[in-house]
Amino acid sequence: MEPLLKVENVTKRFGGLMALAEVSFEVRPGEILGLIGPNGAGKTTMFNCIAGVYKPTSGDITFAGKDGVVRTNGLKPEKMTGLGIARTFQNIRLFGALSVLDNVRVARHCRTSSNFFGAVLRTRSQKEEEKAIIEESMRWLEFVGLAKHALDNATSLAYGNQRRLEIARALATGPKLIMLDEPAAGMNPRETRRLVDLIHAILDAGVTVVLIEHDMKLVMHICQRLAVLDHGVLIAEGVPEAVRADPQVIEAYLGRGAAHA
Amino acid sequence: MFEQQLVNGLTLGVIYALIAVGYTMVYGVIELINFAHGEVYMLGAFFCVTFITALGMPFYVAIVAAMLCCALLGILLDVVAYRPLRNAPRLAALITAIGMSIFLQNLAMIIWGSRAKPFAQEAVPAYLAETALEWSGVHLTWLQIFILGVALVMMLGLYLIINKTRIGTAMRALAQNKTAAALMGINVNFVISFTFALGSAMGAVAGVLVAVYYNTLYPTMGYVAGVKAFASAVLGGIGSVPGAMVGGVVLGVAEALGAGYVSSLYRDGVAYAVLIAVIIFRPSGILGRAVVDKA
Amino acid sequence: MLAKLKPVLFVLAAAALAYPLMPFSNDYLLHVVTLVLVYMVLAMGLNILPGFCGLLDLGFVGFYGIGAYTSGLLTIHYGMSFWVIVPLACLNGALWGVLLGVPTLRLVGDYFAIVTFGFAELVVLFLTNEIWLTRGPLGLPGIEPVSFDFTWLNPDWYFELIGEVPYFYLAVAMVAFVWLVMRRIEDSRLGRAWFAIREDTLAAASCGVNILRYKVIAFAISAGIGALGGAFYARWSLFLSPDMFKFWESFLVLCMVVLGGLGNIAGALVGAVVLIVLGEGLREILPILGLAPETRFLAYGLIMVLIMRFKPAGFFPAIATASARNPLIKDLKKRLAGYASGEKSGTAA
Repeated sequence: MEPLLKVENVTKRFGGLMALAEVSFEVRPGEILGLIGPNGAGKTTMFNCIAGVYKPTSGDITFAGKDGVVRTNGLKPEKMTGLGIARTFQNIRLFGALSVLDNVRVARHCRTSSNFFGAVLRTRSQKEEEKAIIEESMRWLEFVGLAKHALDNATSLAYGNQRRLEIARALATGPKLIMLDEPAAGMNPRETRRLVDLIHAILDAGVTVVLIEHDMKLVMHICQRLAVLDHGVLIAEGVPEAVRADPQVIEAYLGRGAAHA
Repeated sequence: MFEQQLVNGLTLGVIYALIAVGYTMVYGVIELINFAHGEVYMLGAFFCVTFITALGMPFYVAIVAAMLCCALLGILLDVVAYRPLRNAPRLAALITAIGMSIFLQNLAMIIWGSRAKPFAQEAVPAYLAETALEWSGVHLTWLQIFILGVALVMMLGLYLIINKTRIGTAMRALAQNKTAAALMGINVNFVISFTFALGSAMGAVAGVLVAVYYNTLYPTMGYVAGVKAFASAVLGGIGSVPGAMVGGVVLGVAEALGAGYVSSLYRDGVAYAVLIAVIIFRPSGILGRAVVDKA
Repeated sequence: MLAKLKPVLFVLAAAALAYPLMPFSNDYLLHVVTLVLVYMVLAMGLNILPGFCGLLDLGFVGFYGIGAYTSGLLTIHYGMSFWVIVPLACLNGALWGVLLGVPTLRLVGDYFAIVTFGFAELVVLFLTNEIWLTRGPLGLPGIEPVSFDFTWLNPDWYFELIGEVPYFYLAVAMVAFVWLVMRRIEDSRLGRAWFAIREDTLAAASCGVNILRYKVIAFAISAGIGALGGAFYARWSLFLSPDMFKFWESFLVLCMVVLGGLGNIAGALVGAVVLIVLGEGLREILPILGLAPETRFLAYGLIMVLIMRFKPAGFFPAIATASARNPLIKDLKKRLAGYASGEKSGTAA
C-alpha cells in the first residue's frame, strides 16, 4: 500500500548536536504508529520536522496529501496543516484566554476563507461559513466529549479535558494524519482508558494516528506498528511483539536501568 | 574638515558607548529594554550640577557623587519597578520601563524646571576648554581628551569587572541561563541589581560629560540620547558589551559624518535609520546573537 | 448587573447626543468631548496590535501623523472633499503599515516595538525637515473645514461645518463606525486568528494561521484606523504641526488601551475617557500649583507603572467577547442549556 507519510534519511542538527541521524520510516494510511524511545531520543524533534516547525538538515519527508504526494521539508507549519497533518503538543498549548469553542473554531481557519471585508460587511457567504464553522467545531467537541463545555473558558477545563480539547482542535483542521505528542502524559488510569477509546474513534473517523508515548502498556496495546528512536537513530521498526523482542530496543530501555520493565 | 568631523564623532561616540553598555548589560541579564536608562543619564548630569552648586563640591568629586547616586537610582528602579514583574509577560515589563522613563523625566522637570540650563562652568577646570592639540586644522580640546580618557578608563574597568571578578562571572552566567545560575547558588536578584547599578553609574558619567561638552542640560536630554545609545547597543548586538562599545563609536562617527556631509537636519535621523536598518537586515548586530522569532 | 445598567447607559448616551443642541451647551466642553472621541478611535485602532495580536506598537502616532498630514496637504493643495480624503488617508496609513510591517513583523516583541518607535520618530523628523512640503515646524495652517458639497443637485446646497457641534456629531459617527468594524472583526475568522497569535504563536501556526500575513493585516488595519483619526483631526483642528505627533502621544494611546484591558474594545473607550479627562483636569490644576502643564505626563507614567504592577491585564480584561452577541452563539447556548438539563450525566467518548 502507498504510504501516507514517508520519512527518508532525515537528519537534523542543532549546531554541533545531532538530534536525528538518517532516520527513515513510513506511516501507512489507517494505522496507529507509535514513535517511542527513551527521553531525549529525538521523538519530538521528529514531530517538529514533520509538522514544519523545524526544517530537516538533510533527507526527505513526503506526504500523500490532498494534492497527491508532496515533498514537504521546509514547508511552514500552517502549510503542513493545510496539507492535512495536525498535531498536539507535549506541554499543552491551548489558547488560554479563549473559550473551548473558540479554540476549535480557530482550527477551522485553514479550511475557510472569509476575510476582512467578509467580517465587516457580514456577507451572506461569511454568515454561512461562520455557521458551518460552529457546526463542524461542535461536531468535534461532541466527538471528544466536551460539547457541554463549549462556552467555558479553555483554562477552566480539567487537565485530561484540556488534552482532549487539544485533540479536538487538531481534528478540526480536517487532517488525514494526526500526530499526538504524549497524549496520556499526566492522565489518571480512567482518563487514559477514555483516551484509548478516543484514539480508536479517531481511526474509525478515517484519520491516521502517529503517537509519541512513554506509557509502554498503552503503546503495546493500541499501536499496530512501532518505530523506536534512541539518540536520534532509528533502532527498530515493526509490530509491537517483534519490537519488544528486539535486543537493541531492550538495551536502549533496560540498559538505562530496569525501571521501565 | 573630515578629520575634525571624525574627532567630534569619536568624542560623541564614546559617550553613546558609555550609555549603551547600560542598555546592553541589563538586556543581557533580564532581556528588558530599560527605557528609563536615558533618564538615569539625564539625572546624572543634574545630580552633578546640583552637587556643585548646592553643596559646593569640586567638579571631580561631584562626578563620583553623581555616579553613586545614579547607581542607587538604578538599584531602586530595579527593586521597585522591575523586580515585581520578573515573571510577568515581557509586554508588562517594557511598558513599566516606558512609564518609569516618563515619570523620571517629568519629575526632573518639576524639580529643576523644563528649560535648558548651562552647566556650572565656574566649577569646571578652565584648562578643559583649551585646545590641547592642533594638527593641520584639526582641534582637539582637553575636554575631548578628558572625555575619551574617562570613557576608555571606564570601559577598561567594566571589562575587568565582567571578566575578572566573581560578580562579573555571575553576570555572565545569568546572561546564559538564569535558572541554572540560580541553581548554582548565584543570588540572582543581587546580581541583577548590581548590573543596574553598574550600568547606571556609567550612564551618569556620560550625562555629566555631555552636559559639560555642550554646556547645557535639560530634562528631556535623556530621550534622544537614550534612543541613540539604544541604537548603538542594537548595532553592536544587544546583550554584547564589546558590541555596545563598538556600536556607540560607529554611530557617533556615522552621525558626525552624516551631519557634515549629507544633511545636518537629519542628524538624529541617522540613529533611527541605523536602528531600523540593523534590526531588519542584521538583527543580531555586529557582535550579537540572533533574535528572529522561531515560530 | 450589566443588564440593569443598560437603561442608565442608554439615557446617558441619549443625553450626551442631545447636549450640543441645548442652548446652554459649552464650546470648551464640546471640544474636550470631541477630543475624547478622536482618542477613542485611536485607542480602538491601536488595541488591535497589543490587544488582539500581542504586539507592542510604540509608533502608532506615526500613522496618526501620516493620516493628518495626508488629509491636510490634500485639502490645501488639491481642495479635495473630506469624503474623498478620508479613504485616501486610511489607505496611505495602511500602505505604510504594510511597508513597515512586512520586513519587521518577523522580529520578536521588543525589537518590533523599537522599530515602530524609530519609524514614528522618523515621521516626525520628516514632517519637521521637509519644509517644501509640510512647512516644517511652522506648521500647516489654513486647512479648510469639512463641507458637504451638493451644488450638483442645487447650486445653493453647499454646507461648511463650522464650530464644535457638527464635528462632535461627525466624531460620534466615526467612533460608531470604528466600533462596529472592530466588534465585527472580533467575532470573525480574522479576529480569531489574531487572538490565536496572541495566545500562542506556534499553536496558531499549527491551526493553519499564516502568522506573518495576519500580523501584517493587523498592522495595516491598525495603521489605517490611526490615519482615519488623523484625517479627521486635521479637518477639525484646521492646523497641524510636527510636535503634535511626538512619542508621548503614542504612549498616551497605549496607556488608554492598557488601562481598559488589553484586547477589550469597550475598555479602550473607557481608557480614552479617563485619560483625556484626567489630562484636561491636570492641565487646569497644575498651573495653580505652579507647575508646567506638561508635567501631567508624570501622572501618566505613574499610572502605567502601577497598572502593570497591580493589574497587568488592565481593569476590564476580556477578549473575544463580541461573539457572545452573535445569534449563532446565542442559539448554541440555548441548545447547550437544553442538552445539560436533559442529560445530567454528561457524555462519555
